[in-house]
Amino acid sequence: MANVEVESLTRVFETRSRRVLALDNVNLEVEKGEVFGLLGPNGAGKTTLIRILTTLLLPTSGRAVVGGFDVVKEAKKVRGIIGFSSSSERVGFDFVTARRNLWFFSQLYGVPKSEADRRIEELASLLEFQDQLDRKLYMLTTGYKQRLNLARALINDPTVVFFDEPTNGMDVFSAKKVRELFVREARVNSRTVFLATHNMFEAEEICDRVAIIDRGRILAVDTPENLKLTLDKPVVMLETDVAGASVGDPRTLDGVVGGTVKLDSESETANIRVILRDEDYLDKVVTLLERRGVKVLGYQRLEPTLEDVFISKVGAGFAERERSLEV
Amino acid sequence: MRSSVALWLRVAFSRAMIRVLATYGDPLWIVVNVGGPLLTSIALAFLYKFAGIPQFTGFAILGGGIAAYWGNVLWSMAAQLNWDKRSGMLYLYISSPAPLTALLVGMSLGGILGTLPSSLTVLIIGTLLFNPPFSPPTLALALIFMLTLLALYGMGIALSSLYLILGREAEEVNEALYEPVSFLSGIYFPSIGRASPLPLAIQAVASLIPLTIGMDALRRAVFFSEGVGELWPSLLTLAVMAQASIILGLKALNYVERRGRVTGDILVALR
Repeated sequence: MANVEVESLTRVFETRSRRVLALDNVNLEVEKGEVFGLLGPNGAGKTTLIRILTTLLLPTSGRAVVGGFDVVKEAKKVRGIIGFSSSSERVGFDFVTARRNLWFFSQLYGVPKSEADRRIEELASLLEFQDQLDRKLYMLTTGYKQRLNLARALINDPTVVFFDEPTNGMDVFSAKKVRELFVREARVNSRTVFLATHNMFEAEEICDRVAIIDRGRILAVDTPENLKLTLDKPVVMLETDVAGASVGDPRTLDGVVGGTVKLDSESETANIRVILRDEDYLDKVVTLLERRGVKVLGYQRLEPTLEDVFISKVGAGFAERERSLEV
Repeated sequence: MRSSVALWLRVAFSRAMIRVLATYGDPLWIVVNVGGPLLTSIALAFLYKFAGIPQFTGFAILGGGIAAYWGNVLWSMAAQLNWDKRSGMLYLYISSPAPLTALLVGMSLGGILGTLPSSLTVLIIGTLLFNPPFSPPTLALALIFMLTLLALYGMGIALSSLYLILGREAEEVNEALYEPVSFLSGIYFPSIGRASPLPLAIQAVASLIPLTIGMDALRRAVFFSEGVGELWPSLLTLAVMAQASIILGLKALNYVERRGRVTGDILVALR
């Protein structure tokens, strides 16, 4: 049974001077008990989609249903069955304890006190911050605040829970705990976990299915494994010395479908990750780079990742896509 | 129906509770909230005393007690939703089933309860230092005090919606409003009526501010023992002002919420 259904959803932001198509005819279905990832670079439309699904924004056209309720016509009903958390909002009130903060948020959903107390203890235990519950918020470390934020999103026992870049800035240990929690919530409590992220590793590790989004359009939706299987072209990493030279756009190299460049300005080296039309183009790419003054120090064939799937669809990596939006 | 009422009450109660806990949890805030009005009151009371108008010292003390509320309305009511928007908390409120009206009413109640000790501290210290001639508390005084707070916090609700639209400029508007409104409303001196040193035109403008009407009536009840019989026009005006600002504020808030869902930039700070 689908807990999130999105049909032909479009959202346009208009100002006097600009018209931005943030979502372009998006179609999705997310099942009960599924961990679903929305993967794309910053500015791809992930947050806009979550804001529509959490009733904060109206779509320009199309339809979205969450837990069986229309996000436009039945916004109040949707709000009662969802949870939401992002790494960018404040966790709560600084001079109030973690426990009181969680109690406050439970009251926004009308959770009875005894039930709220039980859930606070349960979530604190799951996220391992019981010993922090009676400390004021400003005394908590960033890691504990982030855990509190996640507990807040689950305090009302939601049917569908939305997380927007939940592990941004989190330490490795906390991020691992959080990912385990997402999977547990989906498997044990049959919640739909809807995760917007630009973290490829996260999407691959925990998502049952992933939708790749760019410039408001869904490029592909499938399991991470199937998405990678669709990429039948070789992925090669070229280690180069770029002192005094410019790599330029990898797509301008003959035989390259797309690529992404990670520069290390200190050592004046660059890792160029490219997807080739086929293996035979490798020598040609090396020659073309050397003609541009870029010395190729070595190369290796890689297993494809979800970013490679993205590159194969749009020709560039997340970093290039984000830079192009800044211009 | 019953569940919506229960939710409304839970939300209002919890927001009030959190406001009170947050207020008492921050000792510095109490120092600022008590210290500012107290020092101003004492300074003015000394000035009145040495200027040969000792009966005005009471005005300064009473004004200090009410100034704490005025500061609370501007900074902790009017500007609150704007701060909540910038910190992402407003998003959490909107995406929950909690009625915004309950949140605002809870915030007001919490603000009133949280400011009460600051207000009482100013009144008690001021009274001990200057011994102004207060009349015993009366029904009229209680009514005026309640209606003044209601009208003030109603104004806070109305301003909070406006500030959501204003964005970052809200703080500047607050700064710009604080002193002129304090002056016009006569927190520390009679700004309307026969004893007012202000021209009639300015008195007319000042009378549009609920705080002016409230302060004037409070002074008359506290220092001149006027009762409901004499003060009914002020009571009526305050009641109308309170009702109008609350209704206007809640309507504006509904509009802002609806408009925000269309434009996308009123309810959340776009990053």
